[in-house]
Amino acid sequence: MSALILISVLGVVLLYLGFGNNRRLLAPVSIAGLLGALALFTTGWHIENALVLKDLVRFDGFAMAFNRSLILVTVLLFLFGIDYYARMKENVAEQYALMLFSLVGALLLTSFNNLLLLFLAIEILSIPLYVLAGGKRDSFRSGEAAFKYFLQGAFASGFLLLGITLIYGASASFDLPTVQAFAATAQGNVLFLLGLFFTLAGLAFKVAAVPFHFWSPDVYEGAPTLVTAFMSTVVKMASFAAFYRFIEHMQLPGQVHTMLVVMTVFTLFLGNIVALRQSQFKRLMAYSSIAHTGFLLLAFLGTSDRTSGVLHYYLTTYALATVGLFVVLTLAKRAANGDENIRIFRGLFRSAPWLAIATMLLLLSLAGIPLTAGFIAKYRVFALGISTGFVAVTAFAVVMALVGVYYYVTVIREAFTPTADAPQLVVAPLNWLVISFCGVAVVLLGLLPGLIGG
Amino acid sequence: MIAALLLLIPFITATLLMVMRPTQHARWLAMMSSLASLAVVLVAWATYGGGTVIQADNDWVPAWGLRFVVGYDGVGLLMLVLTGLVFPFIIGAGYGEKLQHPSLVNALLLYTQAFLFGVFLAQNILLFYIFYELSLIPVFFLLLYWGGEHRRSITVRFFIYTLLGGLSLLFGLLYCLGQTGMNGDFSALSGLNLPADTQIWLFWALFLAFAIKLPIFPFHSWQPDTYTTAPLQGTMVLSAVMLKMGLYGTFKIVFAVVPEGVEYWRWTVIALSLIGAVYAGIIAFRQTDMKRLIAYSSLSHVGLLCAGLFAGNNYGITGSLYQAFAHAVLVLGLLYLMGALKERVGSSEMGAMGGLKVRMPRLAALFLLVLVNAVALPLTQSFVGEWLMFAGLWQVDGWLAALAVVTIVLGAIYMFYAFQRAMLGPDKWKLEMHDATLRDHLYLVPLIAITLVLGVHPAPVLDLVDAPVQLLLSALP
Repeated sequence: MSALILISVLGVVLLYLGFGNNRRLLAPVSIAGLLGALALFTTGWHIENALVLKDLVRFDGFAMAFNRSLILVTVLLFLFGIDYYARMKENVAEQYALMLFSLVGALLLTSFNNLLLLFLAIEILSIPLYVLAGGKRDSFRSGEAAFKYFLQGAFASGFLLLGITLIYGASASFDLPTVQAFAATAQGNVLFLLGLFFTLAGLAFKVAAVPFHFWSPDVYEGAPTLVTAFMSTVVKMASFAAFYRFIEHMQLPGQVHTMLVVMTVFTLFLGNIVALRQSQFKRLMAYSSIAHTGFLLLAFLGTSDRTSGVLHYYLTTYALATVGLFVVLTLAKRAANGDENIRIFRGLFRSAPWLAIATMLLLLSLAGIPLTAGFIAKYRVFALGISTGFVAVTAFAVVMALVGVYYYVTVIREAFTPTADAPQLVVAPLNWLVISFCGVAVVLLGLLPGLIGG
Repeated sequence: MIAALLLLIPFITATLLMVMRPTQHARWLAMMSSLASLAVVLVAWATYGGGTVIQADNDWVPAWGLRFVVGYDGVGLLMLVLTGLVFPFIIGAGYGEKLQHPSLVNALLLYTQAFLFGVFLAQNILLFYIFYELSLIPVFFLLLYWGGEHRRSITVRFFIYTLLGGLSLLFGLLYCLGQTGMNGDFSALSGLNLPADTQIWLFWALFLAFAIKLPIFPFHSWQPDTYTTAPLQGTMVLSAVMLKMGLYGTFKIVFAVVPEGVEYWRWTVIALSLIGAVYAGIIAFRQTDMKRLIAYSSLSHVGLLCAGLFAGNNYGITGSLYQAFAHAVLVLGLLYLMGALKERVGSSEMGAMGGLKVRMPRLAALFLLVLVNAVALPLTQSFVGEWLMFAGLWQVDGWLAALAVVTIVLGAIYMFYAFQRAMLGPDKWKLEMHDATLRDHLYLVPLIAITLVLGVHPAPVLDLVDAPVQLLLSALP
């Protein structure tokens, strides 16, 4: 709990620092604060079923593991932010503070124990994001992204709230364990069924599962790159944790389960197939993110005590690879005067060989090639899918993984194609650090997967 | 110890080459590394006493059932010897090629070697799968960077095609593990006893990967383009070693896990293989480019290999494994000769050659000696392998054997026709051309010697594979 308070206060402190024009202090202070929070989460807080705030929040092993990963990823993003925001004239403090507030929402999402808190956490997570997505105030596309995200997000929040209300109507409780226990006796209860449908739809919007994915390509493309990276990592991880939390002990009615299966298949199909046609890197990453949602949903189909570990491993490694790639994108985009086409990577190997190799590793990890963490993640998801009896869906996922390899390899191919006018990248030391950290991490976690969530 | 050396020597040298980029000494360093690996492999062969030698048996991630088990049995050792023997020649071929960035080329080659050793050393199916996929990546870059025309699209097609097989294999392996709860060690594979109807569909999930890798008809469409586009050394890696992974995998995994599936699909696979072998033989005859001709001849040979394996009897399987070795030696020689001729004439089109024998009699003689192996004349290595496969197929059905003979006859026709077009005919060359150099001799004479020695005295290799083949046969229905 103290970590949550620390991060919230940190946000306020940053806003004050912003008044005093102490721009140099912003990132160091926030990173120091986050590391403090990380220490709090790591040391004294690892207590099973630690219920706090009148049972509203439950800090168990699952929440702790996710929270540590969330903070770690945010720290990486802030390290990247030092260089990223160096060119921004004003309002830098707000950017950091809003991201911290959003992070608080994310941390609550992983640990909610009450449906009202679920709604609150999602709102705390989302509202700063609506502002952040419009962070480039002079950019038309950024404004468009913010507006789209806000409208569709508000719509999804409405769904979620309606769902929670219906569930309350059926089970007379907001308390998560009570609701989950109620599910076992609620066969044929239409009210409860509808409630589940709407709640899951609201959550599916956050993880960008088909058919609730329409916002993601546009918002990813329009939002500032750092915010896009934040959305595709922290927000996604937290939303999936919430998704898991919600249905963890619940015996899902047959109809809801069918919906989940259909959603998985369509998400896998659409994410991967549409990604094939993308030439803008950010849109490619958006569809790849949808595709990864599909693989992650596969883990939800059956019930197994391994699901939580698989999710944590998959999401953490996915986030590490994604952060690194967005940093590379920013650097390449600068060298290409703002172009985001994947062609800007052409000749990367010539001009910055180690950067190209790190990019290759990150992309291979997303594609799931052996010895990278992404392979182990996919392996575990597939193994889970088969062992819980969803052989056909897993077979389909395997085929889609192959499609996925194609578009990642296309980017690798660009990076390793020689060209006369190779981009001249300027790599700040801190960006270097972030990229290398991500690159080393995906290989290390691929070789020694026991390092996290064993 | 041997396993560790085989994995580490090429890997460390490759990493050194990547980091240091010694343009001057790159080939020399790579050659030393590959010779060291060869020495290790030969020591392993000399000290091999039969059975399965397990060199490491550790849990990797116990919670998820990942295990690190390496070792080898007779067939594995044969493949290790093959890999060890072939790579000095592949690296040696680089002396004539003069590609840009020799340190990177050699690093990629050595990475491939390390991963291939991994494939043949792995004694756990997931470990096997990991190395199997990894070996694809250095080859991908080799093709992408140093390939010929249209390399970008061809390379990606090759990559996707092979990964399709790989992922299908992964799916099949995960299904086996999920259903039986076993740990995936090779020693436990034969005791799986999956239900017969499962085996029938699971066969294709597992075999598809190897069918593409080999490749057999109709999964071969990536092969001719890839072989032609790849740089010489890349083609050598693909044809001399990588396709043997397909054979080894079929022998080691498909036969062990789904014996009843093999029995069920046997005729289908043999038919496809032999159709492919004849079909590729006919196409090879029509080729004008020598590299393309070698690609199709390789396709034809592989069809025969696969048919021999699926004959499923002692002769067929032994012959197929023996021929795998012979084919590697053969294809190295053919490709090297193609490279040597291309270097002199400036093109691998056979229409541009002709009458070269007058200018370079020694090279023509060496060419002929390599061809003798290609057409499986008695006293060569290929004769032993093809005769055994022929006998194996005969035991299954006389007509199959007849079809196999057709491919051998076709092979003789297109090979000698190629020789005729390239070497014989009137001397039309005004310029002076140098005959076979010392390097050419150093390269081709050992290959020819291996062919002849093992053709006359095949026992060392046959002894190696005998015990595993008998073991396998006792498990087949």
